[in-house]
Amino acid sequence: MAEREASSDHSPAIGRRRVVLGEPEASDFDDNDLPAESMPLRMGPSHPAMHGTVRIVLDVEGEMVTTSDIQIGYLHRGFEKESENATWTQIFPYTDRLNYVSPMLNNVGYAIAVEKLIGIDTSIPERAQYIRVIVGEISRITDHLTCLGASAMELGAFTVFFYLMKAREWLWELLEEISGARLTHSFVRIGGVVADMPEGWAGRLRAVLDRARAAIADADRLLTRNRIFRDRMDGVGIIRKADVAGWGLTGPVARSTGLAYDVRKDHPYLVYDRFDFEVPVGATGDNFDRYAVRLEEISQSMRIIEQALTTIPSGPIMIDDLRITLPAKQETYNTIEGMIAHFKLIMDGIHVPPGEVYSYTEGGNGELGFYLVSDGTGQPWKCRVRPPCFANLAILAKVLPGLFLADVVPTFGMINMIGGECDR
Amino acid sequence: MAAPAEPKATEPKATVTVTIDGKEHEFPRGQNLLEACRAVGADVPYFCYHKGLSSPAVCRQCLVEVKGAPKPVPSCYTMVADKMEVSTSSPKILDVRRQMLEFTLLNHPIDCPICDKAGECILQRQYFDWDAKLARNEGSKVRKAKVVDIGRHIVLDQERCILCTRCIRVCDEVAKQSELTMAYRGARQVLTTAPGHRLDNPYSLNTVDVCPVGALTDKSFRFARRVWELVSVPSICPGCATGCNVEIHSARGKIHRLVPRENLEVNKFWMCDEGRFTYRAAQQDRFLLATVSGQRASLATAVSKGARLLEEALARDARKVGVVFSAGATNEDTHALARLALDGLKIGRAYLGGAPLGWSDNILVSADKNPNTAGVERIVPPPLLTLKDLAGDVASGAVSTLLVLGNASLVLPEGRLAAVVVLSSHQGPLVETANVALPVASWAEVEGSFTNRHGRVQRLNPALAARGDGLPAWRVAALLGHELSVDLAYTSAAEVFADASARHPFMQSLRWGPTARPTLLRFGASRG
Repeated sequence: MAEREASSDHSPAIGRRRVVLGEPEASDFDDNDLPAESMPLRMGPSHPAMHGTVRIVLDVEGEMVTTSDIQIGYLHRGFEKESENATWTQIFPYTDRLNYVSPMLNNVGYAIAVEKLIGIDTSIPERAQYIRVIVGEISRITDHLTCLGASAMELGAFTVFFYLMKAREWLWELLEEISGARLTHSFVRIGGVVADMPEGWAGRLRAVLDRARAAIADADRLLTRNRIFRDRMDGVGIIRKADVAGWGLTGPVARSTGLAYDVRKDHPYLVYDRFDFEVPVGATGDNFDRYAVRLEEISQSMRIIEQALTTIPSGPIMIDDLRITLPAKQETYNTIEGMIAHFKLIMDGIHVPPGEVYSYTEGGNGELGFYLVSDGTGQPWKCRVRPPCFANLAILAKVLPGLFLADVVPTFGMINMIGGECDR
Repeated sequence: MAAPAEPKATEPKATVTVTIDGKEHEFPRGQNLLEACRAVGADVPYFCYHKGLSSPAVCRQCLVEVKGAPKPVPSCYTMVADKMEVSTSSPKILDVRRQMLEFTLLNHPIDCPICDKAGECILQRQYFDWDAKLARNEGSKVRKAKVVDIGRHIVLDQERCILCTRCIRVCDEVAKQSELTMAYRGARQVLTTAPGHRLDNPYSLNTVDVCPVGALTDKSFRFARRVWELVSVPSICPGCATGCNVEIHSARGKIHRLVPRENLEVNKFWMCDEGRFTYRAAQQDRFLLATVSGQRASLATAVSKGARLLEEALARDARKVGVVFSAGATNEDTHALARLALDGLKIGRAYLGGAPLGWSDNILVSADKNPNTAGVERIVPPPLLTLKDLAGDVASGAVSTLLVLGNASLVLPEGRLAAVVVLSSHQGPLVETANVALPVASWAEVEGSFTNRHGRVQRLNPALAARGDGLPAWRVAALLGHELSVDLAYTSAAEVFADASARHPFMQSLRWGPTARPTLLRFGASRG
């Protein structure tokens, strides 16, 4: 066995270590070689492998993480406070920027919350509900594609990143066509959606889903049975099913532990109860399970989209109430009634009756909740977001200690903490 | 055991029981039904009704269902009666309300983008709350005169008028000069003045306040600023000794209008036109940067120089030093100056200056055009001499050094005075000739209080920040005091008030209370 002396590290306490090649034996390590102090490391907030801006302060002993302190808040922009000075409709652009890899899901979650508070949640036109489901599931797919692609890249699988980003790009082109923007859609409104599916969009969407399936299958073939990938991900970052309830975990993180909680199935909203889809569930709660759950969820979302495209009814896409919906432009410009309705909706905002509501939907990362309090005016009194990845990230305080330093990156990646949603 | 008292069966009860929307309530006999409904939270809309005016029931927007009545009843014209059963939200009455709005809007021009009232328009609000249906009529609307110069301050748009007659009643009942009337009938009815007459009474701008739509607009406010950009602060008009309660509406550091605030004991719902324009003086010809001998100086230098001048003059002969108070200054400014000049420096002579007397009527306007004469007279102990006495004393040489507050337009004879130290908010002859001139904030920039002609002390709240080196006068007095070893340790107007109310009986029972924060006239604070 070759032995050679390593030169001393920057930290004098580490001293000299012998670097050993080949299989280590027990006698290779003695008390003189073990580090006297643990090394503090700071990952982030500006770090190529940190998704969003977050800082993890780690203590490592050798390669092993002994303590970790995850410091969030670098992307706190005062969403809740800003919402208090905006009309209910003006908040939609803010919601785009919460989970910015699945903005449609944020739009939809918020709109449903306000509609519940007004009491029109059962009167939203069906076509609008179908469209919300379709664009929401597209957003869920892009969320998972981003998570899987970025995580794969961080493990060195650069090709997979490009394959998945290619698929994401096709989907974003479709979302841009329907909403006008690749990411900041603000596509949903209280009472419905802004625009109907353009001519031929449904056909293009089906074609994109097929192509995306092929790209994702390529990525799957490159990763799922890949020895290196499996070695890096299997058994790493295990989250126990017993911890899910206590730590408030939801979404793919919770489902990877074996708990089949999905808001779309357990508390159906919109028209999700009409579609046939499964909720993939993991067994061990490790990083690989989270990868697999997300991969399968992409397929399930595609199933939902295809069923929705087949069964979507015709009809209006906004509720027909001038206290909620802007009048058509020819009404606004040519009748006083349309003019006043337009004016009041823009200047005052929708008058939401006083009250409070907690409304929850399945976001890309789990249960996305909105707690709204209205004082009867056109602005919210309080608009609180329950970000799913905020709770999900907290479990890392339990999971990271004991992992190797190299495991921090995929574990953190598989939690899919999105700075915009976590910090708001 | 005494026999029980005989029940007085013939005497009517003081209250009546009325059921509104299924719930029973007690109201005093004679209460207006519309007010009663609104008081218990039933949001009955109305246009022509106004608490301060008579009730003609012409708009029919306040119709409610009363059990036993053959048709819906105008609640503004009805008194509560015992065992009345009222419904304000049945499907029928909601439909009636919607229909009335539909009628009102039939010929209403699509002017919202160019109408001043947009944002505080009662028609907009009622439509949104009670109608919110698309138009059913097609075809053109009745055209009427659009930009009618109807009077000194007001422009009329006849198309926007919803014929509620509130403005006519304001002129008839508040100003007591009948200058407005309706002409023609039906869809052609228009608001107009009698032939050859103009809307010219001293309370004409109240018609703009009560107009539910943008039919009557204030010429000085027309197109000046959108109302949702305005921020409102409650204060007191400084125009005369009546002390009408006002709201100062400002945006981006500029006051755009004053509107009256309801105070049933002072001005009810009204104020005079002259008072409305006092905000202009607060923003014109302002004196902002301290001067010494006419040259710009830093505030510290000027205060120091002023203090030295006073010190020298007092050392020579305190009887020849005079202090001139202003009847336009707040109680707090006056009190601080009195403590400095009279208690601290023992200045020999005190004078009271201010705006000269003017016209008055028995409606709102006082002849005394100063807002705080009553306050100054109660704070400064006698003898309090007049400006005429001051002129005489200066001419005779009885007084040779003056410390003056306000009185910006005062002209002092040249060469007769050794030193003049002035605390002024405005430019004028006094500031130009003074040895030391210190800028002070105006009434719209300070917290403070005025005492009206009836001895009522009322709070001011600041709408603007003081510009330049301007400080509240009480603070400048404290700075001078500091230089002259007179310790006026005031750090806020509330402290000055506390000190004043401890020393002056007329302020003793009063509480300073919190400072009113400026309220954005959008969302909940909208007047429309």
